[in-house]
Formats: sequence, structure tokens, C-alpha cells
Amino acid sequence: MNIIELIDLTKIYKGLRAVDGINLKVKKGSVFGFLGPNGAGKTTTLKMMAGILKPSGGRIIIDGMDLAENPEGVKSVTGFIPDRPYIYEKLTGSEFLRFTGGLYGMGKSSNLDERIMELLELFELSHWSDELVESYSHGMKQRLVMCSALLHNPRVLIVDEPMVGLDPKGARLVKDIFRNEADKGKTIFVSTHSLGTAQEICDEIAIIQTGSIIATGDPETIKKQAGTDGNLESVFLKLTEGPALAHGKSLSAS
Amino acid sequence: MENLFQLLSPRILAVKNGMSGSSRKSKKKTIIMIIVGIGFWTLMFVLSTKTLRYFRSTEIIGDILAHHLLSMLFLTFFGLLIFSNIITALSNFYLSNDLELCHSSPASLDEIFLSRSIFTVFDSSWMVVIFGLPIMMSYGWVYNAGAGFYFDLVQLGLALTVTASGAGILITVIMVSIFPAQKTRDIIMLLMIFLVIALYIMFRLMRPERLVDPDAFFSIVQYVSALKAPDHAFLPTHWITEVLWAHLREKTNDSYVFNVLLLWSTAGALVFINVWIGRVTYFSGFSKSQEAKRRRAGKGILDKTVMIMRKPFNDDLASILEKDIRIFFRDNTQWSQLLLLAALVVVYLYNFSVLPLERSAIRLEFLQNTVAFLNLGLASFVLASVAVRFIFPAVSAEGKSFWIIQTSPLSIKRFLIGKYLIYIFPMLVLGETLIVLTNRLLDVSTFMMVLSSITMFFAIFALVSLGIGMGAMYPRFKFENITQVSTGFGGLVYMILSALFMTVIILLESVPVYIVFMSQMHKRALTGEQWAMIAGAFILAVAITAFTIYKPMKMGIKALNNYE
Repeated sequence: MNIIELIDLTKIYKGLRAVDGINLKVKKGSVFGFLGPNGAGKTTTLKMMAGILKPSGGRIIIDGMDLAENPEGVKSVTGFIPDRPYIYEKLTGSEFLRFTGGLYGMGKSSNLDERIMELLELFELSHWSDELVESYSHGMKQRLVMCSALLHNPRVLIVDEPMVGLDPKGARLVKDIFRNEADKGKTIFVSTHSLGTAQEICDEIAIIQTGSIIATGDPETIKKQAGTDGNLESVFLKLTEGPALAHGKSLSAS
Repeated sequence: MENLFQLLSPRILAVKNGMSGSSRKSKKKTIIMIIVGIGFWTLMFVLSTKTLRYFRSTEIIGDILAHHLLSMLFLTFFGLLIFSNIITALSNFYLSNDLELCHSSPASLDEIFLSRSIFTVFDSSWMVVIFGLPIMMSYGWVYNAGAGFYFDLVQLGLALTVTASGAGILITVIMVSIFPAQKTRDIIMLLMIFLVIALYIMFRLMRPERLVDPDAFFSIVQYVSALKAPDHAFLPTHWITEVLWAHLREKTNDSYVFNVLLLWSTAGALVFINVWIGRVTYFSGFSKSQEAKRRRAGKGILDKTVMIMRKPFNDDLASILEKDIRIFFRDNTQWSQLLLLAALVVVYLYNFSVLPLERSAIRLEFLQNTVAFLNLGLASFVLASVAVRFIFPAVSAEGKSFWIIQTSPLSIKRFLIGKYLIYIFPMLVLGETLIVLTNRLLDVSTFMMVLSSITMFFAIFALVSLGIGMGAMYPRFKFENITQVSTGFGGLVYMILSALFMTVIILLESVPVYIVFMSQMHKRALTGEQWAMIAGAFILAVAITAFTIYKPMKMGIKALNNYE
């Protein structure tokens, strides 16, 4: 069963087609890797799925709901982890989580505090729960954002470059958590530069270049498409030969 | 000093790029800003010219008044400049994002210190210069001053600005070296105390209320002596006033060279002293300010307040409310403005308490009610100034964390309603306090008291809606400092629209006030036509207020929904 469907999804910035009519289907309970060179349209696609950017055309269906028609419904079943963890610096870690819990209607739930402590422990932040976020390192902020994205038990997790700023131990922790969550039925849609990560945790992969999908399928199928037997890195390099950026211009943060 | 220009060049290039590469939209904004600026300058110039002409037409004391005013102006500007420099220096020398880059470059400490001093001079002085220039020009115009006046105005104005900056920077550098770097809260607190003391001293030196109250003096001699310059011979403002006044009165000034030398040598000396002190203390102060900021959050009263305030609201709105309150009281740049606000209210009420209305030649009740009516406009201007500082930036205050709101199931409509609810109650308390207390001080009629309280009550709903709505229409999530948000284009448009709204409401209400007052004075009953006019004016005022409450929020919701 598909939990995410992108249909002819397009984003045009001042005449520039950053995302050019992409079509994707993602199965429930899978880790889906979204790969591509810098400026290919990854972050733009993810931001549209998270409801931050308005598509110029096409549809985004998540858990059977159209994002354009029922944004609040879709957002209540998704969690978003951006590549740069900008969060309120003057709140403590636990206050920030209580705040996001409130936004997702969990404020009066009796087990919110329990859930917060569980996640803080899972991401090894429990000793920092009463510290202001401004005193956290980049990796700690990234892990706190992950806690907040998982707080309301979303069915779909949209993740942009999860390993940026994480030390090897943190990266291992996050990879394990993603894999576990997917095994429990959550769907993880993750964009990454790290081909090692993609190879390790993804069930399926799509490669985007100049705003269009150029390959999709499980890692083995993609290797066959590329006509190479090597690791994912050589497949990626082979498939993304040619113009790296959509129309040769930089597009967004991706 | 070869790196000094390199350190200054990013700012110069940013200004150049901002001017050349602007889009059509930003060009439109610039044109509106220029038109508003010219309009403001013209208004200031005309008002100052009229005042000075009136002074000149008054025998004996006219020139003394003009001299006194010039001296008061310089003293005010000088005080404002020093304070503004202290605040700006704190951010330019210790908090700016580009400081790490500067300190890791091969530029010397002197070069960094001087480049930051130059930024501070410009950042903190341009506003005062813009406000002050039309008044100074009107002095030149009314007194037919020669080229010497304008030349000395520019060069000595520069010396005065450098002196004020030197003093401001010196205070900041010394304070940061005394206090542990993380204690910015204490530094700001101390600055606020300085400001309140400075305000008090300024008022006691000037005693503006005495100038409108000649009866308080036994003789003209006493009055004239009270008008003597409020400054002191050791103050740089005294030196510049004397030089310029000599030009205006075409008097030969024996102490001209002495005063000019005093001004420039003071400015130069402060620059040297600052560089010298900077060598000793600047780097250690900067280094301390960069140290890790591991800090536990304050608990207790804040927690209890938040718990009480959350109660009446739904989960999502309560979360927004709680977050904003916590951030407000933990962010030194935000809560410290409350102290400024308190100072403003005290000065406002003080001015009303010393108005010598009973000694005026005009009929007392008429004057009391007219002043009360004008007070409505003045108080709403104070509220609009508060709103532009606190409410207009409320949406932008989400900053780079706005993605959290965007990706949450909270709709933009509810988000803006949450922001509205946070600000409406404190604004109602502030507005009604100002109006009721000033009306009590003026001892106005019950009709005036009721009318102005009700008007203010509803006007606040409109002013807050305008602030939240316009803030959503002109959001600026990528700011260096939240105070920059209110000084941008949107803030200017907000101030203009609030002033326009209040002017229209006051003009509309002046109809019933005039009719009722005249009928009471002549002890005549109101005619049917008069009743119709009163009703018409009130209905129109209510309609405009309702529109101003509804429309900006609606437009803000639409704009923020389309924000990318």
C-alpha cells in the first residue's frame, strides 16, 4: 500500500523549473532514499511535502489525503526534520518538546511528559532537558528536532539530510532509530548526500537531477538501470553525469 | 592600518549592492520611503520655522527663548546619541555574527576596534542627524545665517557626534570588562537605570513646564533668568551652541577658536583614549563573550504565570502563548524594552501633571476637554509606537524557526489569533491606564472620560489587528536583531496607517464633542439635526474601527499562507 504519492509535482521559481513534474509512490513502512547532486531539487521537493512551499503544479497525497485540500490533516500525520535545525533558542529542550506537543494537540494528554522523557532518553538528551537550546551543539539540536518530529507518532517522517552535524555515534543512533521506526510501520522519506547511509538503510531509492527523477527502485534495480555492478557511489556518479544543477543555476538549499 | 578599509568594505559593498541591484518592488519601497522622508522633513522645517518666527516676534525674551531651545536641542541630541551608542556598541563590538571572521583574520586589534567604532558612529547617529537637520536648517533660514553657520554646523556637528560615540563606546567597553560576559542582562539593566537617571536630569535641567507658565515668576527678570541656557560650560553641547548662536546673531565671538578647539580636541582625545583602553581590555572582553553559554533556565514565577495564562485557551493557542511569554522574558533585548516603556509612561504622565491649565486665559473646561481630546490622539500615538516595537515584529519573531509553525497542523489563522490574544490584554491595560490617569489629572467632564475610554478601548483592538496583520504581510524571518524588524518598510507603513486611523476617528468624534459642548455652554437642548449628526459620526467611527479590526488580520492570514 502506498502512503505517499507525488503526482506531476512541479515547482517553478521565476521561470526556473526547480522540480519538473515528478511522480513517485512510496510504500508504507519503508525507508525511501531521495538522492541527487546539490541543487537538483531535493530540498524543494521535501519542503513542498512538509507544507512549507506551495507547489506550482501537481498533487501531494499523504496517507490518502491531498495536502492542498487538507493541509492540517496531512500535517498531523507527518513529522519534518529540516537540514538545519533552527529552533527557539530561549526554550529548554523539554519546553520545546512540550510546545510542539501542544501544536499537535497533545498538550492535555496525560502521557506527554512520559513520551518526552522516552524520546530524550532514546536520543541521549535527557541530561540536557532543562538547559536552554542556545547552549546545545549543532548535533544536539538536530537530535532534539528529531525528538519533536517523532513526538506525535507520525505515520510519515520527512527528513532532509539527517546526518549533517552528527558525530559517528550520533549518526549510528539515528540510522538505527530510522530502521526501527520503519520496521514498526512508519514511513521515512529521507533525502541524503550520504550514499553509504542510503545503501545501509533504504528499501527504495529515487535519484533526482535537474528537477526530474532519473532513476527509481530498490538499490539492486538501480544498479541494473545504470548498467554497473559497483557500489551505490559509482552508480550515482554514472547516472548523474552531465549538468548537475537544474538549468545550470543554483536553486535552493539542497 | 591597511586592513581597516578591508574591514569596512563589506558594509560599503552591501550598501552599494542594495542600491544597484534592487528589484522593482524594492524600488517602489525606496520611492515611498523618500516621499515620506521629504514630507517629514518639510513638516519639521515648517513647524520649526513657525516657532522660531514666533519667538523672534516676541520682544526681549524671543531671542533668549530661541537660544534656550537651541541649547535644549543639542543637550537632548547629545544624550540620545550617547545612549544609542552604548547599545549599538554592545552589538557591534561583542555580539555581531561577523566578529569571529574579523578576529580570526590577520587584521590588528586596533584595526578591528576602529572599524567597529566607525560602524557604531554611523549606526547610532544617522537617525538623530536626520531628525535634527531640518530644525537646524530652520534656524539658519529664520536668522538669515551666512555660510559660516552651515560650515560650522557640519564640522562641529561631526565633532559632537564623534564625542558622543566616543563616550558611548567607552562606557560599553568598560562595562563589559567589569561584568562577566554572560551577564548581558545586568549590563542592560544598568543601562536602563542610566537612561532613567539621564531622563530625570534632563527634565530637571530643562524644566520645560516653566516656559509656558510666566505667572509662576514674580517679575520678567526672574522669568528671563529662568530661561538661561540649561547646559553647563563644561558640556560639549554648550560649546557648539555658543559658536552657532554667535553666527546666528552675527556677533563677534571672542571664544570662537577656543570653543572649536575644545570640541575637536575632546573628540580626538576620546578616540585616542578608546583605542588605548581597547588595546588593554577589548580582546579579553570579546573572548569572554564567546565562551560557552551553558545555562539553566529560570523557573518559578515564570512557570506559575504561564500555567495561569494557559488555562482559558485551547492546546495549540496555549502553546504559542507559553512559548512567546517564555522567550520574551528570557531574551534580554526584548524584556528590557519594558523598562523603556515604563520610563515613557512616567514621562507622559509627569507632563500632564505639570500642565498649568488653571492659569491659562482660555476658559478652563473648554481647555481641559480639548486637551483630553488631543490626549486621545497622543496616547494612541504612544500605543502605536509601542505596537510597532512589540506587536508588529510578533510574527517575524518566529525567525528561522517559522518552519515549525508551517509544518504543524496549526493553521495560519489560529496562529495569528494566538499572537493577537497575547498582545490585546497588555495593550488594553496600558491604553486605558494612560487615558484614565491623564483624564483624572486633567479633571475632565464625565462625558469626555466615558467617550475617550470607550474610543481607546475599541481603537486598541484595531491597532493590535493592524500590527499583527501588517507584521504578517511584511514578515522578516531572517533578521540579525529583532529590533531591526520594526524599523523597516512595514513598520513605517504601520505607523502611517495607525496615525491615519486615529486621525479619522478623532475627527469624526470631534463632531459630537463640539455639538454637546456648545449645547451645554449655551444651555440649549439638542435639535433633531444635531442628534442625527452625532449618530452619523458615531456610526461611521464604529464602522471604520470594525473594518480596521477585520481587514488587516484577513490580509495578514492570506499573505502568510502564501509566504515561501
